[in-house]
Amino acid sequence: MKIVVLVKYVPEPTATWKFAPDLTVDRAGVEGRLSELDEYAVEQAAQLAEKGVASEVVFLTVGPAKASEGLRKALAIGGDKAVHVVDDAIHGSCALSTSLVLAKALEKEGFDLVLTGMASTDAELSVIPSMVADRLGINQATFAGELSVEGGAVTIRRDSDVASERITASLPAIVSVTDQTGEARYPAFKAIMGAKKKPITTWSLADLGVDAAAVGLGAASVRTIDVAPTPARTAGTIITDDGEGAAQLADFLAGRGFI
Amino acid sequence: MWVRFVLGLLMTVVCLGIAGRRAYFLYRVGKTFQPLEAERRVDPGSAVRAEVAEVAFQRKLLRWTVPGAAHFLVFWGFMVLLFTIVEAFIGLVKPDFQIPIVGNFAWFGFFEDLFALLCVAALAVFTVLRIQQAPKNLGRRSRFFGSHIGPAWFVLFMIFNVVWTLLAYRGASINAQELHEPANADKMGFLHGAFASQWFASILPKTNVEFWETFFLLLSLAVLLGFTVFVTYSKHMHIFASIPNVAFARRPRALGALEPVYWQGTKVDFEDPGDDDVMGVGKIEDFTWKGLLDFATCTECGRCQSQCPAWNTDKPLSPKVLIMGLRDHSLAKAPYLLAAKNADGEVPEGGIPEAAAAEAARPLIGPEGDETAHVGEHGITGEGVIPFDMLWSCTTCGACVEQCPVDIEHVDHIVDMRRYQVLMESAFPEEAGIMLRNLEHAGDPWGLGASARLEWAETLDFELRVYEGDKIPDDVEYLYWVGCAGALDDTAKRTARAVATLLHEAGVEFMVLGEAESCTGDPARRMGHEFLFQMLAMQNVEVLNEAGAKRIVVTCAHCYNTLANEYPQVGGHYEVVHHTTLLARLVADKRLTPVQRVDAAVTYHDPCYLGRHNRIFAAPREVLGAIPGTRVQEMPRNREKSFCCGAGGARMWMDENLGERINQNRADEALATAPDVVAAACPFCITMLSDGVAQRQQEGTAAATVSVTDVSEVLLRSVRPDLVDSLSAS
Repeated sequence: MKIVVLVKYVPEPTATWKFAPDLTVDRAGVEGRLSELDEYAVEQAAQLAEKGVASEVVFLTVGPAKASEGLRKALAIGGDKAVHVVDDAIHGSCALSTSLVLAKALEKEGFDLVLTGMASTDAELSVIPSMVADRLGINQATFAGELSVEGGAVTIRRDSDVASERITASLPAIVSVTDQTGEARYPAFKAIMGAKKKPITTWSLADLGVDAAAVGLGAASVRTIDVAPTPARTAGTIITDDGEGAAQLADFLAGRGFI
Repeated sequence: MWVRFVLGLLMTVVCLGIAGRRAYFLYRVGKTFQPLEAERRVDPGSAVRAEVAEVAFQRKLLRWTVPGAAHFLVFWGFMVLLFTIVEAFIGLVKPDFQIPIVGNFAWFGFFEDLFALLCVAALAVFTVLRIQQAPKNLGRRSRFFGSHIGPAWFVLFMIFNVVWTLLAYRGASINAQELHEPANADKMGFLHGAFASQWFASILPKTNVEFWETFFLLLSLAVLLGFTVFVTYSKHMHIFASIPNVAFARRPRALGALEPVYWQGTKVDFEDPGDDDVMGVGKIEDFTWKGLLDFATCTECGRCQSQCPAWNTDKPLSPKVLIMGLRDHSLAKAPYLLAAKNADGEVPEGGIPEAAAAEAARPLIGPEGDETAHVGEHGITGEGVIPFDMLWSCTTCGACVEQCPVDIEHVDHIVDMRRYQVLMESAFPEEAGIMLRNLEHAGDPWGLGASARLEWAETLDFELRVYEGDKIPDDVEYLYWVGCAGALDDTAKRTARAVATLLHEAGVEFMVLGEAESCTGDPARRMGHEFLFQMLAMQNVEVLNEAGAKRIVVTCAHCYNTLANEYPQVGGHYEVVHHTTLLARLVADKRLTPVQRVDAAVTYHDPCYLGRHNRIFAAPREVLGAIPGTRVQEMPRNREKSFCCGAGGARMWMDENLGERINQNRADEALATAPDVVAAACPFCITMLSDGVAQRQQEGTAAATVSVTDVSEVLLRSVRPDLVDSLSAS
């Protein structure tokens, strides 16, 4: 069984993001990293390979040149090789066009199971798995807290506030995993060095047969009108209990419509 | 005469042969270990000074007055006994031999006998100490807990035998000379002053004097030679091994900077490591031969153990037991190390004894959660040579290295083993992984990121100069390295504000790096993650060198140690000063004037990385002492003997669930001095001690008014009392 893991190279969440004149994140001015939420998917793929369930694990990303660093990080955790779709025309793509590129790349690479994180830590849309499933016409099982593969089907546990479901989907399928699946291993130096020797293939839009006009900022289905930094958190209100504490607290909450 | 000569010669040849064979065996084992680090050069000058101070004058032993003095006497007793031993050996063929020149004088004989008796007196002291401090009475509180007790008693007994048989021989010699050949007696002038030997002469039979002389001569040589053989097979090897061990030790001491990672004697290049390079120590033979010499030199005195914060809080780490474990394993594995290997580097089956093969198959570090792992009275048990929890209990405080009379480098060995675990095996306490990831991604252990690095300065009442690329302007005297804690931890931010305000008050022009600063890499390095340390260090050095930083002031003891001692390894050479040193200077120069009385008993805690590792003991005390009204107090364990707060060695970022909490132990010691203020000079010490004091306050056993704070904040109260409230609000 062949697993392809979709991973995203995101701007470092703790860094100060700067925005370019076209209102996209200025990727040159901020450190990047493999999205923490995708690390869970990478770990699951590595575990399935270790269990002998997966015979091949490939990491796929769409992103700027530096996104290869994210692939190296994934390859240090596990996997055999990686594919990097990089093309200037992709800059500024919305989720719809990103899913198009991903779907084409998946078709070209071939797969039995696609894994990915539950969301990216930058855009946080969580829609990519569904969009890719739709474009490829394959099954989807999202927000897996646990997953196993057996007899040509993937079974997941999906936890919500009201229930814990067990869902089975026959392969080929796409599964997004949550942090409940377990923290990614901390790669040893040996593994980091080993990852440098694993192959990374680079594809352009032309390689995938995607029209450059169908993606990028110009083709985006949503447009960013304005960007402003989040205002700094202001100091909270401290209520000192001098016998009236409870009443003051209640007033505070009531005044803001919480109670 | 020829009978005793033949017997004496035979004994000598056999015993020295056995001892020599043993020495050759140890040499060959050492050859299978790694070569010395290329940068570890023995500087003849400092080596000789160390030999004089530590071997001849027993400097480190004498820190403990009673056992130190006793050891001094045994050492010098044996040095003087060397003369009598020479006399005895030559006496085999020339019974009337005397050492040229001095041998003529009665005082020389007196001198010899005096030292022999002082040696016996010292043995009596050791006997009392060993009875008083027996592990069976004191348990883990005994420094001898885990040492080989039987052989230690045997050593005392044998030294006693060496001394009395030599004196008895000299007594018999007096009788032989005086009764048999009175003419010769005058010649051996030294015997006139040899009062103890004369006493033996008086009680020995006056008949068959030649027989008795031969008898005691051969007996004393037998005892001496037998003891020599025993020494080469025992923990008492230090009498030979300590001399080279002191010579090859890191100078001035194996504290402060850690060494980079070496493989086959050369520094590992983390950018482009060799395919077969091993990072750190994964097998016993990955230590250098100096490591093996360290293990062989350990005398099991337990001074390290008595000071170890892990051991004193009932954790499974004793530096002594660790070194003993490594020595026992080295010797048990020796047949494997020395055996011929086939093309795959393996020993063919049946080529070595089964026990050695089994020992070779043992992992150096045991697996986490090994139920059989135990550190007890009889040493270490468990799957690994060193249990997982033993390795990870170390705070790298350096109390063991500080104490060791023979310069064993415990901390280096522990970090080397951690390096292999982290870099090659990725095996370490899981919770520390959060810190490592945060360092990688955010550049600080909390994961708050560079953008949060200037929030601490928002309430300053002056404009803080922040580096914005380019060169640091010429009028800037100091670059203030705030450190992750100072920038991001609420308590430490107060210290950062106090230091900045005081520098401003004193008219010192300074600047901070702001977002361009990141963790120095200290916790990564102490954990063994040399790769991450190198990345952070090179990144910081690049920023500092680009900015043209020359003088740096630091508030964190760990940042101080790394910037001052470790950055030169990666091309960063700066004049680094700790804020307490700078503040002491500013107060002395009257650039800061403490005006307001601070009526408080202030107990100062020496941070390990400021004190022991960097010898800054006086400055913080000077600052506190300069404030009117303060009474500076000491804890029983202070300065070189300061007890760790528990945060060093990246322990700050690991759970502490074995034994008593180290910070509680230290906080209790501080509280026992009835302080108003517990002052320290490192943000991590302050966090740890605050937690410990808060715990007791909650329990109602400590006054609610006791505060734990940085030295600078106490000074601020006196210099700018008006600003204390606004700067301490978080």
